Amino acid sequence: MEHYDAVVIGAGNAGLTAGAALAQGDAKVLVLERHNIPGGCATSFCRGRFEFEVALHQLSGVGTPEKPGPLRMTLDQLGVMDQLDFMPMSDLYHVIIPGKLDILLEPDRARATATLQRHFPAEADNIEAFIDLVYKVFGEVIGAFYFKDPEVHPDKYPLYFQYGLKPLQAVLDQHFRDPLLKTALTPYWTYMGLPPSRLSFIDMAAMLFAYIEFLPYHLKGGSQALSNALASRIVACGGKVRYSCPVEKILVENGRVAGVRTADGETIQTGQVVSNASKIATYIDMLEPDQVPEAVWGEMKRTSIGPSAFTLYLGLDQPPEALGISSSTNFILGHTDADAVYDQMKNLEIDHRDGMMMTCYTLIDPGFSPPGTSQVALITLKFGDAWLQVPPAQYAAEKYRLADAMLQKAEEVFPGLRDHIEEMEIATPITHMRYLDTPRGAIYGFEKHIKDSPVFLPNRAHIDGLFLAGGWAGPNGFQPTLEAGFKTGRAVLRRLGK
Amino acid sequence: MKPEIAAQLEGYQDMLQLAQAAEILGEDFRTEKGAVATYLERLHPARLSLRVSRIRTETPSTKTFRMVPVDGVLPPFQAGQYVSLHVEIDGIRTNRPLSIASPPTQSGYYDLTVKRVPGGLVSNYLLDNLQAGDRLVSSGPDGCFVYNPLLHGNRLVFIAGGSGITPFMSMIRETCDRGLDRQITLIYGNRSEDDVIYHAALTGLAEAHPNFTYVPVIEKPGPGYTGETGFMTGELMERVTGDLSGAMVYLCGPSAMYDFCLGELQARQVLARRIRREMFGPPVHVSQCPGWPADISEDQSFAVSIVGGPVVTARAGTPLLTTFEQAGLAPPSQCRSGECSLCRTRVLKGRVFQPAGVPLRQSDREQGYVHCCVSYPLEDLEVLIEAKG
Repeated sequence: MEHYDAVVIGAGNAGLTAGAALAQGDAKVLVLERHNIPGGCATSFCRGRFEFEVALHQLSGVGTPEKPGPLRMTLDQLGVMDQLDFMPMSDLYHVIIPGKLDILLEPDRARATATLQRHFPAEADNIEAFIDLVYKVFGEVIGAFYFKDPEVHPDKYPLYFQYGLKPLQAVLDQHFRDPLLKTALTPYWTYMGLPPSRLSFIDMAAMLFAYIEFLPYHLKGGSQALSNALASRIVACGGKVRYSCPVEKILVENGRVAGVRTADGETIQTGQVVSNASKIATYIDMLEPDQVPEAVWGEMKRTSIGPSAFTLYLGLDQPPEALGISSSTNFILGHTDADAVYDQMKNLEIDHRDGMMMTCYTLIDPGFSPPGTSQVALITLKFGDAWLQVPPAQYAAEKYRLADAMLQKAEEVFPGLRDHIEEMEIATPITHMRYLDTPRGAIYGFEKHIKDSPVFLPNRAHIDGLFLAGGWAGPNGFQPTLEAGFKTGRAVLRRLGK
Repeated sequence: MKPEIAAQLEGYQDMLQLAQAAEILGEDFRTEKGAVATYLERLHPARLSLRVSRIRTETPSTKTFRMVPVDGVLPPFQAGQYVSLHVEIDGIRTNRPLSIASPPTQSGYYDLTVKRVPGGLVSNYLLDNLQAGDRLVSSGPDGCFVYNPLLHGNRLVFIAGGSGITPFMSMIRETCDRGLDRQITLIYGNRSEDDVIYHAALTGLAEAHPNFTYVPVIEKPGPGYTGETGFMTGELMERVTGDLSGAMVYLCGPSAMYDFCLGELQARQVLARRIRREMFGPPVHVSQCPGWPADISEDQSFAVSIVGGPVVTARAGTPLLTTFEQAGLAPPSQCRSGECSLCRTRVLKGRVFQPAGVPLRQSDREQGYVHCCVSYPLEDLEVLIEAKG
């Protein structure tokens, strides 16, 4: 019977960085992935002469070699930087409400502030104050948590203690009058799946700070290049990655992890398991109820399953400029009511109530699609529940019907888009469920409501030898999950005495 | 952060109360046990258990196997999609993608039509051995060779060669059965009249449905034949369908047909986005593909060393996947055309030949990953098979 120091379930972002940390720390590690490629969300696929990025829109926390961000430092420690070609994006984002709002922000504090002030001169001081608060609060977060201050106290970090649990909406309302301005500052809420009324101000501050200070990036070859580099690193350090190999059970003996059993019945012995699968699959499908401490059910009951997404991947037979596409990251909204957008995420239909994001990768890397073409992703967040009620026989027709609705929305801003589509792939919440194996196709894990923050719900191990890493066990998104996996891998190394 | 410190955060008590209330009122996810797998089994099952319910001889070289589910129901599919049929022949486990010829409106069975390939392992096995009542396992339906109602419009030109008719049969039947607003012209090339599959059915459908036109083309007809002959030229396409510029052209057939017909379409300025082409398995003679090195013959053999496994002898003209299958070491596979990516394998040392147009991720290419179903050794290799077969 095979024996490993540690087994990682799932080669998503966190699974890969955990695996790489373990392998280069001399642990004998095996990564088991159900899909045939590494990455989870961080993958790509080919159709015709196009390769499509699945999930990465803007990579945060990279920074420059001179001023490295935390993610660059993590990837550097994992020894994969030389395999990766990072490309900074010149736009922070372009936010559009047709006929009402059209603002392009750059990833630069002074210029972004000035642009906003030019559009909203009456609130120029408020804009300055808000951005200042974002920086000051996040500066305190860095001091307290990134540098691990052993004595975090309100006297030392007054802004953190004042704003740490405040909803973003409250801080917006405290600073601004114009709803268009509030919308212009916060389209990134969709990166976490919760509208400003439910999202913590700190989470938005973290995103704005990370993207402005360390620039948004894309990768040559897309996120698959990062996944491939990490998987390759695991193998180069003596670890193993096995694809098309789902794990069925985590084996527990005398209250501690003893191994895993794969779907084809193979048993692998190990004392340490890092699960990058969803928390629900880990505790409910891979373990027996009597192996799970009661506390886990209570913890999970506190939270709710986050949204999935409806995405159109388009390969267009014209370059971006011929289609009027001038910025890489576009948020296309119909109105300023983020709560209404959130409610609409529960609806199968796609219409003027939905928000939509459009990323054009070709503008960042012309080599991402063949010469004279462009590659675009249109995405709107949707909860999986409504899709689960579509009868299987109706599924394909519904997919096309809603893709049509999505194209109609995009054509309000980019007319003629439809006439140049050479390749189209439609991903629904069911598609995400199929490839990610997450309940209801959730792409961000559990919802990250303020009450679900680590202050109230730390990522604890409940079974000796079982570690959870990824968007279901902590913050979601590329940078957070990549960093979380790395930290988890190192925690396991400490357990192993390495 | 210690709880007594955290409690000093503004709003802490309110949020804690919210969290505690959710712990009482929230959803119990234990009801989700098995939910993902159960749902996906209805729509995207990884495996189907099928039974041959009836066998129909179509031509001297072709039979249609009607496959019914052993238990449960068949998943829905889009006309044009395929299933990959798994077989074990003389100890060799392999599979073949077969387009579903029955329409998606028929949920009781899939019709799978198989044409004999001279020397072909699987086609000969299925045609000579399969009996009504036999059981087989297949993949779930998959593939991108489908009609897109948002983009393709209602003037469709289907160009089929030989057994490449099968996906079109499903699309034509669906259009006729459901009375869809699509104008279809099928141009169907075969070597001789004996090779034409579904001739009677297609003739009957064309007579009954004015929106479907059937144009058989015979390369080498016998005496007395009065229909179209020779190759499927652009001139012929325009003559039977009118102006090609507003049409959507679909191609399915052997590689020689693609080479010829794509050239004809390009010469008539048909845009890439107006052409769909089905992947149709590896080339019959890979050495005839552009770029194959002149100094290597298909019968040359090389040593392929598999990391953690044996060294196997690989014929240059045989896809690596087939070599691995013969050695009992194959990764999972499905489309056998380079499209589905299941057989992704890493070449650590040595050169392989991959025919032009086979899709491969940019970062996979840089790391030496190939789709081994359409990769051929050009020298001794060292390969890493990471997928569980």
